[in-house]
Amino acid sequence: MQSRVLTHTTILALVATLSLVGCKKKPTQLGGPTGPGTATGPSAVTPSDIGPGVTIGGPGARPDVTSADLEKRVFAPVYFDYDSAKIKPSEMSKLQAVADALRGNNKKLLIEGHCDERGTAEYNRALGERRAQAALAELKRLGIDASRLSTISYGKERPVDPGHDDTAWSRNRRCEFVPLDR
Amino acid sequence: MKRLLAFVFGLAVFQVAAHAQVTVVKGFQKRLVAVNGFGGSALGARLAEIVANDVRLSGYLGLARADAAEFVQQGNVRSDGSVECFVTHVVTKKMVLSKAYPARGDTRRLAHEISDDMVKAITGQRGIAQTKIACIVKRGRNKELAVMDYDGANARQFSNDGLCAHPRWSPDGTRILYTSYWRNYPDILEVNLLTGQRRVVAQFPGLNSGADYSPDGQLVALTLSKDGNPELYTMNAGGGGLRRLTNTRGAESSPVWSPDGRQIAFVSDERGSPQVYVIGRDGGEPDRLTVSPSYNTEPAWSRPPAGSDMRPMIAVTSRVGGKFQIGLVETLAPGQGVRPVVADGADNEDPSWAPNGRMLVFTKTRNWRSRLYLLDVVTGEELELPALGEGASEPAWGP
Repeated sequence: MQSRVLTHTTILALVATLSLVGCKKKPTQLGGPTGPGTATGPSAVTPSDIGPGVTIGGPGARPDVTSADLEKRVFAPVYFDYDSAKIKPSEMSKLQAVADALRGNNKKLLIEGHCDERGTAEYNRALGERRAQAALAELKRLGIDASRLSTISYGKERPVDPGHDDTAWSRNRRCEFVPLDR
Repeated sequence: MKRLLAFVFGLAVFQVAAHAQVTVVKGFQKRLVAVNGFGGSALGARLAEIVANDVRLSGYLGLARADAAEFVQQGNVRSDGSVECFVTHVVTKKMVLSKAYPARGDTRRLAHEISDDMVKAITGQRGIAQTKIACIVKRGRNKELAVMDYDGANARQFSNDGLCAHPRWSPDGTRILYTSYWRNYPDILEVNLLTGQRRVVAQFPGLNSGADYSPDGQLVALTLSKDGNPELYTMNAGGGGLRRLTNTRGAESSPVWSPDGRQIAFVSDERGSPQVYVIGRDGGEPDRLTVSPSYNTEPAWSRPPAGSDMRPMIAVTSRVGGKFQIGLVETLAPGQGVRPVVADGADNEDPSWAPNGRMLVFTKTRNWRSRLYLLDVVTGEELELPALGEGASEPAWGP
């Protein structure tokens, strides 16, 4: 009798488990999702498809930047406090070094603003831009012509440290400096 | 016999579980429908499966067995491939839907049309089964724009830019504005979903992001930093007519139009932590809408259709105790607290309203993996959409 009950219970548990699994998987089966890329429509359009449209920035307003350029991070990043775009006194010497390197030549400089992952996307994109602009303002104060400087905010999209702790976050709240050889 | 018993009991467990999931949630009674399907053919079975899932995702309706249902659906596939669907009120025997649908190649589309007709016939409300959702899909290190059916099916990729963000639909559903790093800088592009053609909408020095079409499609609200820190602007959707709305020491972001197109809600951190403000479409002094919790971002303003039982409201992403939750702001009274609706310890972000003004799609991130979920704000019920590649985020529900 005991073994009978046991069998019974086991089967019930098994059936219940299977039912639950079935429930969970149901959306996947019903959705029948075709992964992106297996698309049949106008997928994977290339940037060259983009027409002239309403380009309003005007030519020369910002230098072209390639992915190779972005690898050239020869300057020390400037770090920020959480949710702040204020340049800390401890970071001033790094900006001084950037300014020194820009004197005596006409190179342009790209300033990237970055955030840690603890914020919503668009708010972080705005915060990253403010960080880049704070660095830009400081370089301007140090005598660099603003026409040589441009900004990119990546928000939280390009962390340098993939971790999810205080150390990673403090390394990711930063400005990077990319010299452009033109 | 023992085996049979076990099987029957197991089935009952399943039924009860399925039943409990869709009936009374937080005091709201869904209209329960028994979906009997469309006969035994392969097409009939496929239609029944999709319609049942639509009922499950509809908000207004719930699935039930015939003996527990208020309405019974019946249907069949005729020899010429056309489909009939009938919905009857069980108690009064009144037939509320009796409709024939011509044969069609696209089974999913036909099923969604039937589902929306059922919602309309039973509740008088607009269904969402024929709508689409745009989102950002993760592909290796890249993030690209994708568009799928509202139930997660038929996902298609519409960009190959490396990094994309913040998709927003044109009111007619033919185009999407999004932020693209296609030339490494954040620009605003528009893609035509019918042709795949794209155009540059804003490409100023600095930040170009957060674009949102006005309800009439004539204007675009956006964030630009060309004049200093990130500020709010509007421009003509076709280009030109740029107008600056704010002038603050902080950063403005995430503009969203009111349903009547007269106001714009947005995020500003001018007074410290980010909060939601409302400003007239022509500028002026903004009203601070939210005061607590200390971090409210990503406002999404619902646009329930005429005749809806829902009122317009604003969904936001709040941060509480280091976690993100979805909350609602139900009036425009200044200085409010936000009522949390998804606060489960995961990170919940990017709310976007269905055109019925009742369902939300949002991103839920657990263990650094992002999935899209639907939320019925009336019942509080959450439903996970099928996984999309390596992760999906920033959903935008189409018109």
